[in-house]
Amino acid sequence: MKRILIYCLFSPFFLSQLGFAFGLGTVAVPAWAQKIAVEGHVVHTLSASGPLTDGVVLIADGKITAVGLSAAVQIPDDYQRLCAAVVTPGFIDAHSTVGLSGVYNVAADQDQDEATDPNQAALRVIDGFNPAEPLLNYLLQHGVTVIQTGPGRRNPIAGQAGIFKTAGETVAAMTVRFPSSMLFNLGEIPKKTYAEKKQLPTTRMGTAALIRQALLAAHHYNTQRQDTPPATPADRDLQKEALAQVVRGELPALFTAHRADDILTAIRIANEFGLQLILDAATEGYLIAEAIQKAGVPVLVHPTMQRVSSPETLNTSVENAAILADKDILIAIQSGFESYVPKTRVVLFEAAIAMVNGLGFDRALQAITLDAAKILGLADRVGSLEPGKDADVVLFNGDPFEYTSQVEAVVLNGQVAYRKDAT
Amino acid sequence: MGWKWLSSGFLLGSVFTVHAQPPPQTPLVLRDATIYTVTHGTIETGTIVIQAGKITASGPTDEIEIPADATVEDLSGKVIIPGLVDTHSHLGVSSRPHVPAHADTNEKTGPVQSGLRALDAISPADPGIRMAQAGGITTANIMPGSSNVVGGQTAYVKYRGQTIDDMLIHPTGLDSVQGGMKMANGENPKRAYGSQKKAPATRMAVAALQRQLFVKAQNYQKKWAAYTKAQHKEQDEKEAPAKEPERDLTLEPVVEILRGKRTVHFHTHRADDILTVLRLADEFGFKLVLQHVTEGYKVAKEIARRHIPCSIIVLDSPGGKHEAAQFAFANAAVLEKAGVTVAIHTDDPITDSRFLLRSAALAIRGGMSEEGALKALTIHGAEMLDLQDRIGSIEVGKDADLVVLSGPPFSVYSQVLATYVEGAVVFDRNRPGDTYYATGGFAVAGRYPESEGRTGNASHQPGSRETENRGAAE
Repeated sequence: MKRILIYCLFSPFFLSQLGFAFGLGTVAVPAWAQKIAVEGHVVHTLSASGPLTDGVVLIADGKITAVGLSAAVQIPDDYQRLCAAVVTPGFIDAHSTVGLSGVYNVAADQDQDEATDPNQAALRVIDGFNPAEPLLNYLLQHGVTVIQTGPGRRNPIAGQAGIFKTAGETVAAMTVRFPSSMLFNLGEIPKKTYAEKKQLPTTRMGTAALIRQALLAAHHYNTQRQDTPPATPADRDLQKEALAQVVRGELPALFTAHRADDILTAIRIANEFGLQLILDAATEGYLIAEAIQKAGVPVLVHPTMQRVSSPETLNTSVENAAILADKDILIAIQSGFESYVPKTRVVLFEAAIAMVNGLGFDRALQAITLDAAKILGLADRVGSLEPGKDADVVLFNGDPFEYTSQVEAVVLNGQVAYRKDAT
Repeated sequence: MGWKWLSSGFLLGSVFTVHAQPPPQTPLVLRDATIYTVTHGTIETGTIVIQAGKITASGPTDEIEIPADATVEDLSGKVIIPGLVDTHSHLGVSSRPHVPAHADTNEKTGPVQSGLRALDAISPADPGIRMAQAGGITTANIMPGSSNVVGGQTAYVKYRGQTIDDMLIHPTGLDSVQGGMKMANGENPKRAYGSQKKAPATRMAVAALQRQLFVKAQNYQKKWAAYTKAQHKEQDEKEAPAKEPERDLTLEPVVEILRGKRTVHFHTHRADDILTVLRLADEFGFKLVLQHVTEGYKVAKEIARRHIPCSIIVLDSPGGKHEAAQFAFANAAVLEKAGVTVAIHTDDPITDSRFLLRSAALAIRGGMSEEGALKALTIHGAEMLDLQDRIGSIEVGKDADLVVLSGPPFSVYSQVLATYVEGAVVFDRNRPGDTYYATGGFAVAGRYPESEGRTGNASHQPGSRETENRGAAE
């Protein structure tokens, strides 16, 4: 295995400051760190320029200001220099529960599943997101700088997700977008949840009916609230108000479904109500790739190494991402939800397995950077190394997808948020 | 002998232990591969000769005599490693899909279940076993779960065959044990019983129940010793016959532990729980393998001092419970540097058996040596199961359990191309029935896209797919 060592080193002053910053456990970065030059033997820009050999990314005030070949980009004297064998954009986990679902997996740190009523459209991730959650830092250390996180798998209508950076002190400071989508769940888990309570839904029919009923109510609410002058103005209702954004097509409807027929149920409901659909997990998507292609919807593909476990995940294929991408379906890769050990997956690892099972290097990297940004509507801000974008940059000592490569450093919002040697 | 009842089962048992798939008799030659022997270095261009399921020759190609009637496979450009040894799995006792009908790992009706045997619940039809073959695993320690402080007797198996007797390495009915004993401490037993308001609800009760079992077994052992002694006396002095003690199936296997015939595989995570296990081992003197050992890096010296081997798990992230929250990729490396014998296991379904090589690669990411990582998947595991004379390395006389890889063992770009158990192919990535156990989709093989020509040159033919390593341009 070829390994390229860092060929320029941090100054001792820089390292001591980093140690100080880590001691605080935050990203309280002093002003001097806000001008950074990241040099890479290979820089995967994910932009039209393609990968650069011996490239530089200049960063100032949290944003990327220039990207180019070393020979062409002048690094000003007052810039801190970080160097690595391989440089990529920060990774985007298109669907996680980290921040709501904590590392210890006890009632005290599990806030993802309000399994007390199947319609939880009024719930907001921002009211439960814990910036101090250790797993956020764990993801950051593996290069994940952006996650869409939201309520879990147990309710048919789970609530409102948001998109966050993986470092910061408050949810407001970390929020990239809120709300980012409304989460819906089909298949085994919701019906199992409510079967225990002997309450609708205990069948797939019940789940679909409940969702359709709620969307219909939101549609009526929309009409009533929009009547001018209002004939009979409806009282504000947080649940319907949230779903009204979904039926107006303003807020994406993210449907998690594994089995092929559940995926088609999501498409059927989305067509009926004119939803802006994002398919999530889509475990059996490869069996109905043409139908998904025809529906023209993007897919946040399940973790490639998702457990082959329950009946609805028994047909998990490590080739799913590749088969869908081969149909020109826009895909990203998500980490999903883990109920036990380990408590989260890492999209970098999942993309690596998709890569060697047909997706290939370029598409695998796109799936956790630019394509994820496109699906989440953030391509103007993250997902590639281009001037004007957020300075979220990952430095590797080798091939980012190789098992044995290590993350050397992570820059988030233009600040060094992780440095391997400092921990 | 106090153990004469075993002789009555001997003849009966041996009738049923004939393997359904005898090893092929025609010599098989695997030629011109890079061979990682594990115990005798790496051979750049090497050849292995297999006869009657055993390795009969192994070395540089130009030094190997190829039998005239041999089937020869040209493996130039490929890599051969020993079949992987998984020191901790639940395949077969937790068959896929995971529905209540298949849940046979945890008999949560009482915390001490030393009488249970995994071999009575293993389903050889579990698709997980074929997935494991696709991952290069040939030998495994199938264990009951960790809800009980004593979970039951484990089974050392090869991944082959249609019946449990095909799979078992040590046949039933002989005066031998079929595996070890699963024990557990920490959160899992506490949670399983504490939630029912039964013992154990604390770590103290977990240890007390385990000590109590060993003490009972010591008493039982004494009773039998006394009986045996009395029998001898009868013969000599013509006294009244001594009454034979009643057999106890929960204590017999624990006596086997005390006699050093059965290894304890002890599930433990937190540093203080690990030390509790060591304390019990010091007290009762049993043969021990620590299992999981998540916080082993905190007490590596204590483990190393006692020469206790560690079978560890490598996870993608910490957490899921308090005792796994301090998980670190560096655990294997720290234990290795302390001189501990380390194996790496799947704990399938916690990690998927197809990705065991990956687990060891992540240990390398955390600082373990490549040599140590390969041993952790082969010879070290073999030692922990007392099978080092049969498996775990590529040596003349050992079982021909082998894995053919497309490239170096610890690269994401390498794939398992074929797996052999005792010279028989149990997985071939290009064999239509096998491919879907590597990729997934085995239950829908007839509907899998582009399945026609999958073994030919279709775009989704995984075995032939060359993925260029483009991440780190030179």
